[in-house]
Amino acid sequence: MVVEAINVHPLDKHLRLDRIPTLYCPGCGIGIALGAILRALDRRISEGLIDPNRVVWVGGIGCSARAVFYVKFDAAHILHGRAIAFATGVVLANPELLAIVVGGDGDIAGIGGNHLIHAARRNMDMIVVMITNFVYAMTGGQVAPTTPRGVKTTTTPKGNPELPLNAVKLVLSLNANYVARASVTTPHYIESFFYKALGMKGFRFIEVISTCPEIYGRHIGLRDPVEMYNELKKRVKYRSKPSIEDADIDWERGVVIGEFLERNNPSYLELLREVYSR
Amino acid sequence: MKKTFASGNIAIAEGAITAGLKFYAGYPITPSSEIMEYLAEKLPKLNGVVVQMEDEIASINAAIGASWTGVKSMTATSGPGFSLMAEAIGLAVITETPLVIVDVMRAGPSTGVPTKTSQSDVLQARWLAHGDYIVPCYAPWSVQEAYDLTLKAFNTAELLRTPVIVLSDAVIAHLWEPLTIYDQGEVDIVDRKIPRGVERALPYKPDPDLVPPMPIFGKGFKTIVESLIHDERGYYAPHEDSYRALITRLNLKILKRLNYIFDYEIYNCTSECDYMLLSYGSTARVTYIAMLELRRRGYNVCMLRLKTLWPLDRERLVSSCGARKIVVVENNTGKIYMDVDRIFKDREVYSAPVLGLELPSLREVLEVVSLWL
Amino acid sequence: MVFKLNNYGKIPQLISREYGKFRVTIIVDRCKECGLCIAICPVKVLVKSSAENKYGYHPPEPLNIEKCIGCRLCEYNCPDFAIFVEKVV
Repeated sequence: MVVEAINVHPLDKHLRLDRIPTLYCPGCGIGIALGAILRALDRRISEGLIDPNRVVWVGGIGCSARAVFYVKFDAAHILHGRAIAFATGVVLANPELLAIVVGGDGDIAGIGGNHLIHAARRNMDMIVVMITNFVYAMTGGQVAPTTPRGVKTTTTPKGNPELPLNAVKLVLSLNANYVARASVTTPHYIESFFYKALGMKGFRFIEVISTCPEIYGRHIGLRDPVEMYNELKKRVKYRSKPSIEDADIDWERGVVIGEFLERNNPSYLELLREVYSR
Repeated sequence: MKKTFASGNIAIAEGAITAGLKFYAGYPITPSSEIMEYLAEKLPKLNGVVVQMEDEIASINAAIGASWTGVKSMTATSGPGFSLMAEAIGLAVITETPLVIVDVMRAGPSTGVPTKTSQSDVLQARWLAHGDYIVPCYAPWSVQEAYDLTLKAFNTAELLRTPVIVLSDAVIAHLWEPLTIYDQGEVDIVDRKIPRGVERALPYKPDPDLVPPMPIFGKGFKTIVESLIHDERGYYAPHEDSYRALITRLNLKILKRLNYIFDYEIYNCTSECDYMLLSYGSTARVTYIAMLELRRRGYNVCMLRLKTLWPLDRERLVSSCGARKIVVVENNTGKIYMDVDRIFKDREVYSAPVLGLELPSLREVLEVVSLWL
Repeated sequence: MVFKLNNYGKIPQLISREYGKFRVTIIVDRCKECGLCIAICPVKVLVKSSAENKYGYHPPEPLNIEKCIGCRLCEYNCPDFAIFVEKVV
């Protein structure tokens, strides 16, 4: 059941209108992140820097990865956790293509953790947007590698005994060219970080902290979209040039957003060309 | 063409090169590592890419991604790595991605004996991933055939937009024999169909041969490669009619070309055959000699060697030879035997499982086969 | 000009109002009534309307359009591409 395609919104030219409205819950942050990313991409396309026919979106499984359903570009909706590996094949076989990987924290840093590590280690040419909602939402709310300690989820009914993974810290320890974190409460930062990433090469990683009123919100008592948005907004602090020590995510002490790392090291494709030119 | 002396692994690599391989992603595993090592030297000189990934799962997913940019891609592994590739083979099936996967079988299960041979993966190759599908599997018995069947595997993959498995084993991998390498103009090379217009309204609408042209990335097709059950637009379609249509088509497109895919050789069959030995792969090399020895001793015995292990063409098999007793000789606990027993319903079919880490000796095969004569 | 929104079938696909430099448009059937645009607007242009869209949600309407400053926070924070602001020449 979809609306008749109305083509009026400024981003409609990049959307598959016959699949709108999206499947996302009311107040889901993924839609906000997707809008911000599309605005940045649209600007780069208008500047002539990016050819829309060369953009490939790759997603694994999960709510965030389903963003690839809605974009009017070449896209792939493949296996849980394997989007980064698939995108590696795409970029190496055709270096003219730009791979944008979108996924959730479980998909990219959980099951896909090994692929994340090695793509960041190689400084592989791709942009990875990880939308973090601290839970496996699509399957109903199970604990995720990023779930804070103590949170009651469907598979940790007495509270999560585990300590969480911090994906930004993980990627910072490797060889990426760009590591940033934004929040769905700051869509302008998502757009500006993604805009910058589009002009760079190598491995670019942007974590977007998101609201999830239906699932994670239910676990922490913030089911109303506006309430969860406001609570997240209070805890998000922008810092210019934050360091790895600022990367901790703590619901009490706050979440630091900003550009943790920005450099111009040779990307994997450049390293490969250099080796073969010998 | 060029005549050279090579191993089975090298022959597979050369077969892929002749077919037009441009992307290889793999992970080292005995006894298949030489394929990647050989290609790592040769393929970049032909403008191809070889990348050693962090594990087999990444290897096959990268190979699938590469195939979607329009290039021929391959990965090679052995039993343990092949087991890891299960999910991705299902992905290649449902997204209709042309891909060649080489499984150089070794003794299992699990770590088994990495340096020794077996034929125990022959059913696993068919049924590895969950779901309802048919994946063509080829089994060479010599170095030259490793080259030829790899080339055929690529052609099958491109023609039918499907993953194809080449089942080599540790014996063939490290065997050195004369090899003829053909130039690209001397052999038939098939390339996948690509849609002519841009932005087809129904990217998954098949042609009359049940295979849709492949809207590769980067050409403005605005493709969506979808692992969920999808309709002709590529959109998620969890409905009875879409599911039935898709599954039926994925299976039928393979079966329609059974004549092309299914191949076998038959030796010394006459209208007076009493017995038929059936074998495949490296074990067939010894079975062949056993057949010759039995004929010398006066038995009316012929041999059928399967080159394609799946799908099997029942009609051609049944009409291949009239022998009343069939003995299936294989290096496992009797797997292809189950199919032969089923297909040759009205004959007596016996299993001769010559389980071993190396090629069986002639004496062993004769001993086991003689039980049934 | 105020829209009179009646029962389903008579609702237009867009709710659009302009005043001065800015026009705010809501694509009615995309809205999921999350309330983010209404809450985030710094000058309280939007209120929840009483009408129901195709899915039973109540989209917002720019009741106080004259207050709009064109910040586009509603557009940026809408998860459903359901509201946008244009500059009117």
